[in-house]
Amino acid sequence: MANLLFYLVSLGAVVGALGVVAARNPVVSVLSLLGTFFCLATIYLLAGFEFLAAAQILVYAGAIMVLFLFVIMLLNLGGQERPLMDHTLAMSRRLPLVVLVGVALAAVSFFAVARSGEAQAAAEAAPLQVDTLGGLAQMVFGTYLLPFELSSVLLLAAAIAVLVLAKRERGEAGR
Amino acid sequence: MSLFLAQVLKVVVIFAGLVSAAGVSTLAERKVSAWIQLRLGPNRVGPFGVLQPLADGIKFFFKEEFIPQGATRWLFLLAPMLAAIPAMMTVAVIPFTGVIATVDGTPIYGSIADIDIGAIYVMAISGLGVYGIILGGWASNSKYSLLGGLRASAQMISYELSMILVILSIVAMSGTMNLREITDQQNANSLLGFLPAWNVFYQPLGFVLFVICTFAETNRHPFDFAECESELVGGFHTEYSSMKFALFFIGEYCAMIVMSCLTTTLFLGGAAVPFWAEAPWFVGLAAFVVKAAFFMFLFIWVRWSLPRFRYDQLMALGWKVFLPLALANVFVTGLVLSL
Amino acid sequence: MVIVKRKELTLAERLYLPEILRGLSITLRKMFVKRATRQYPEEPLVTTEVTRGQPRLAVNTDGTVRCVSCGMCEAACPAYAITIDGHETERPIEREPERFEIDMLRCILCGFCEEACPKEAIWMSDELELADYTRGALVYDLEKLKRPVSALQPRIDYIKKINDRWRTSSSTS
Repeated sequence: MANLLFYLVSLGAVVGALGVVAARNPVVSVLSLLGTFFCLATIYLLAGFEFLAAAQILVYAGAIMVLFLFVIMLLNLGGQERPLMDHTLAMSRRLPLVVLVGVALAAVSFFAVARSGEAQAAAEAAPLQVDTLGGLAQMVFGTYLLPFELSSVLLLAAAIAVLVLAKRERGEAGR
Repeated sequence: MSLFLAQVLKVVVIFAGLVSAAGVSTLAERKVSAWIQLRLGPNRVGPFGVLQPLADGIKFFFKEEFIPQGATRWLFLLAPMLAAIPAMMTVAVIPFTGVIATVDGTPIYGSIADIDIGAIYVMAISGLGVYGIILGGWASNSKYSLLGGLRASAQMISYELSMILVILSIVAMSGTMNLREITDQQNANSLLGFLPAWNVFYQPLGFVLFVICTFAETNRHPFDFAECESELVGGFHTEYSSMKFALFFIGEYCAMIVMSCLTTTLFLGGAAVPFWAEAPWFVGLAAFVVKAAFFMFLFIWVRWSLPRFRYDQLMALGWKVFLPLALANVFVTGLVLSL
Repeated sequence: MVIVKRKELTLAERLYLPEILRGLSITLRKMFVKRATRQYPEEPLVTTEVTRGQPRLAVNTDGTVRCVSCGMCEAACPAYAITIDGHETERPIEREPERFEIDMLRCILCGFCEEACPKEAIWMSDELELADYTRGALVYDLEKLKRPVSALQPRIDYIKKINDRWRTSSSTS
């Protein structure tokens, strides 16, 4: 039962992800991504990470995708659908990059699959206490405090960078 | 088997209760508005107009289905469902009362699902209600709807943040996200010997912030910028008619009811009866309903008393007043707890 | 030029919440004020002799209409609501209306016909309700307009009283 659900949800996640890149209407893309997030949240639930699932929905579906939709509507991208020709043309021009990224991703997933048995054995030997809230908090704010804080600083830096870039462009346009 | 039956029964009863409570609130809305404005309110259908929601429902069924030209059809149809379903889903974790019965040593709790992440589940699912509003506004292909949807999205994101921070303070105090355990903790001891240990006494600022945020979160007056009758005709549901409009309507009232229940659970001790710790479950349920009904009344009362904010005031209030206050609240709570 | 100085808000007003509570308390108090609503179809309107309702024709106790179809009211009517055709009779009164129609959709209830009438035949009754399914049905003919004098008596007495007051005051001056 759980296995069947897992495969169904995984299929949903993959279809949603394909929908994001394939859809010609940006709103449909956003909705596909939303579907993918829900499928991922379900997979977390199946794995027993209730908090992660809720956080996934709360943060990604509840806030970030709403912002995406907000921006798309503000820019009114929904009205004109992207012509398919441009799409393929742009793709073909960036073909080397696409192939490179694709190969890299394939390599990563290949290694991941190849070593999954190893990881499973390690996990069974020393299970991480992340299925309870307290355990997760211990992991994030105890064992991995430094990487966690560093990543938050990185995100802050990115946010400030975006702000600076946007401000500068507007300033130049104003001059 | 009887456990399963009890579960099914709870789902049916709570869901039916929620939807009929939404119907009753539409009547309450009209009655209270009438009382405040020195009118009598609906009194033609049934004694004192108690059957008015039924008449309204029948009317909705017979209204013309209308889909505007240029609307994105499937999104237009999907949006009302997306607005109503999250509001109805959130009710699943609300502990309406204590333990109802014990079957084979397993207690049957007063909520559909007694999960450890109840508080965050409510926030996560109720936050999805905004999709119905945005997509409805966008799919209608109408400028009023679009503006309503845009406003709703910005507003709900802003206020959800403060709301989650307030919940965080409560969670930090209780040490759990399980709504039933949060209730039990408020019920367990007493404050200064005579007051019930409800969170409203420990977190008065948080309480005020939370209640105001629920108004913004459910798009109610004085923050109803998604509808905004005087500027945007009907806001996001301008183009909706018939049962599709009714779904938006039910969704809005269900969201209000759930928020009332959540406020009751987090701040007023849920099903706790003051000075009667061993109250049977139905008394607790009655107490819960009374407390939640007060917040429903507050929603309606405020709507018919206050004028609407200006949109920039709303955003300024959300980001410049509520967010710092909520952050300070979390900080002070953490400080006090660590001492 | 008038310069209106904006009032400085006090701290309590800037905090906003106390003012909200004040507003809420006002609306809460209003909830318990006694209603002035009249449940109209069940509770009929209170009318007096001063009520200027729809015009009606007075019928004597012997069943004859007082109207002599002189056309004064027809001429006085600002809304052209009245149409009269008269004919001769054997009675000493000599004339009576053959056709007397008031288009109630045109009538503005001004009471000029009542003032113009030399025979005390047309009076503003206390009837105010007016509803039907067609326009034609709201053009009232003679039969629909007839009312016994007794029904109109309070109004007749009232108007006579008013007119008498004018007469006496003008004679003294």
